[in-house]
Amino acid sequence: MVEAPRRPDLPEFALRRRRTLWGDAWRRLIASPTARLGMAIVVIFILTTVLAHFFWPYNPKTDLDYTLKLKPPNLRPTAEIPSIHPFGTDKLGRDIFRRVIHGGWNSLRVGIISVGIALVVGGLLGLLAGFYESIPMTPGERRGLTAGVGLLLGFIPAWLADQPILAVLFAIVGSVGAGLSLSRLGHWRWLLFAGSGALVGGVPALWVSPYTAIVCGLLGAIIGVFIAFPLSGSLFSNLVMRLMDIILAFPSILLAIAIVAFLGPGLDRAMIAIGFVGIPTYARLMRATVLSLVQRDYVLAAQAVGSGHARILFRHILPNTLSPIIVQSTLGLGSAIIWAGALGFLGLGAIPPEPEWGAMLGDSYRFLASGAWWAVTFPGIAIMLSVLGFNLLGDGLRDALDPRLTR
Amino acid sequence: MTRYIVRRLISLIPTLLGVTVVVFLLLRLIPGDPAVAMLGEHASQENVQRIREQLGLNRPLFLDREALKQGDLKGFLDSQYLRFLGRLVQGDLGASIHRRIPVAQELSQRFPATVELALAAMAVAILLGIPIGILSAARRNTWIDSLSMVGALIGVSMPIFWLGLMEIMLFAVILNWLPIGGRLDHAIEVRRITGLLLIDTLVTGQWTAFWDAVKHLVMPVIALATIPLAIIARMTRASMLEVLQEDYIRTARAKGLHQRLVLFRHALKNALLPVITIIGLQTGNLLAGAILTETIFAWPGIGKWVYDAIIGRDYPVVQGGTLLIALVFVLVNLLVDLSYATLDPRIHYE
Repeated sequence: MVEAPRRPDLPEFALRRRRTLWGDAWRRLIASPTARLGMAIVVIFILTTVLAHFFWPYNPKTDLDYTLKLKPPNLRPTAEIPSIHPFGTDKLGRDIFRRVIHGGWNSLRVGIISVGIALVVGGLLGLLAGFYESIPMTPGERRGLTAGVGLLLGFIPAWLADQPILAVLFAIVGSVGAGLSLSRLGHWRWLLFAGSGALVGGVPALWVSPYTAIVCGLLGAIIGVFIAFPLSGSLFSNLVMRLMDIILAFPSILLAIAIVAFLGPGLDRAMIAIGFVGIPTYARLMRATVLSLVQRDYVLAAQAVGSGHARILFRHILPNTLSPIIVQSTLGLGSAIIWAGALGFLGLGAIPPEPEWGAMLGDSYRFLASGAWWAVTFPGIAIMLSVLGFNLLGDGLRDALDPRLTR
Repeated sequence: MTRYIVRRLISLIPTLLGVTVVVFLLLRLIPGDPAVAMLGEHASQENVQRIREQLGLNRPLFLDREALKQGDLKGFLDSQYLRFLGRLVQGDLGASIHRRIPVAQELSQRFPATVELALAAMAVAILLGIPIGILSAARRNTWIDSLSMVGALIGVSMPIFWLGLMEIMLFAVILNWLPIGGRLDHAIEVRRITGLLLIDTLVTGQWTAFWDAVKHLVMPVIALATIPLAIIARMTRASMLEVLQEDYIRTARAKGLHQRLVLFRHALKNALLPVITIIGLQTGNLLAGAILTETIFAWPGIGKWVYDAIIGRDYPVVQGGTLLIALVFVLVNLLVDLSYATLDPRIHYE
């Protein structure tokens, strides 16, 4: 065994372990008893479900035994019930303990995938919205934005005339127009844009019918005027955030129910619905975080040395948004599990006989009146405990990652 | 201030218009034909066609480009969405496809039930949540603080549909103290004034009816109040702790003011602002959470009604109910913003 060389001549502080941001946060995290409890719950939850999924095979389709229908929990085999059921059995004689453990896999899946959807879509939208709200666009980016707006608005006349090429034409008008330096044209530029819009919209529509051409030409003129405005990043940000407001104006469970009704029942569809409903949360959080970050000196410095926008966004800003995002995602995992349970309970989530906690509750609550408390109690406790774990951990992470908030 | 309100109200229009488009589109995209749902699977082709025409389902969704081709401008604009929007402006929400009752009429009957439930739950959440938060902040790091904050965390993590089931098991099945669901015993008649049963029965002096209404309210209110209660308590505590560190609190204490006076006069007033934001946001969520609670307790409000309508493809009901919920939600948020100005004179709206 080789002995480590001693360096007696170095002062003590040089030998001290290097302090890192994440190392400090970790130490703060494990210093808090509630965060430790949350972490323990989360680790146990993940370990049992993952281990059970891979090493304790369960086939819900064949699991059925009417002789054991709705038996109360027993910890010792009796003459009547030869097998052990710590949580009792449900209406089909299935072992509730086993189904609760395997239901965890579904909850974990829903949580991770739906938070992933909300985080990627919402986070990206919020990132761009916050960034371009405060930092002026480069000419190239402005051309891209104007072309995009032209394409989007161009879809209306394109659909009316049944000629997809129209939308592309509007995109070209937008990108060419935004590239020209038209300031010396003064007020004439409105006329120029309106005229070219009317031409682009009206002329191809003539092939369909003169009436269509008139309407498309009018629409084209309006779109042209719209494109002639000096579009800026704040327009993009406004557009995104208004869209988020619209989603937020709906109660999330209502929207989730409607989306599942549209997509059809099933756990995969429930994940999409829950993820979609969560998008505005992440978009708003990300935008707020980015808005405060772009004011920092290091962003100014990066701009000053001529870094490109993509580099500033992904090298300097994105890494610094991590801590609020980590906290929100941890808390989001908890609420996704609740939403999945709610949808399952209403019969819109997992399809039976798939083991899922909410669906198990929805399956058995009719037997409450006949005294089968165990069929309803244990899946609910599973939901509550796992959500509690994620909430405790999320709270702990918030305190650990942002020491200014610690009191 | 007036200008600010007007501007905010105007800026609501695009959001609400967007809401109508989303509601309209989402429903149209849900597979299944309401005409078939109405007539049953075995209806004849002609009947289905006739009903579709009657309901306007044979019209295009937004604009009719075929009519435009022929130069028929009226036909061009005669679409499902614009018809819906036009009637909406006149206050006509259409009639339920299944029950043939005007949506506005049923809405006006069911909305008070949801409002009563949500207001009662909010009252409980505020009346318990704020004192618990103040107490935790005042007795920071004692067992009272730890107990209430652990309780609050459990409350935040509570799946309310499960809590509702547990309540039914305990109070209705095992103890048999409370009715299992509904809003009022069928045998009791109440003269309708406001639609809020608690108020109506009190005004008319029907004490047995009042008591019955209270008993029906207890379980859904507990289920619905749990999450906002926990959130309000946590928010009050955090906000109080922040305010209690301020210099003016130290000054007040140094003057020798009584602790109670410092807490309520000096700290609480300043700590309430974020709490009010949370209350506003939670009021919106309560209307939403009511869908689950109303389903479990068979509460005859809009939540359960809209849920049933989504499953049964009753377009007008879903549109009317969702629009109302969204409108209330948006207006509550506006009220929260306005209440800032009243509570914090430093905030001025231009």
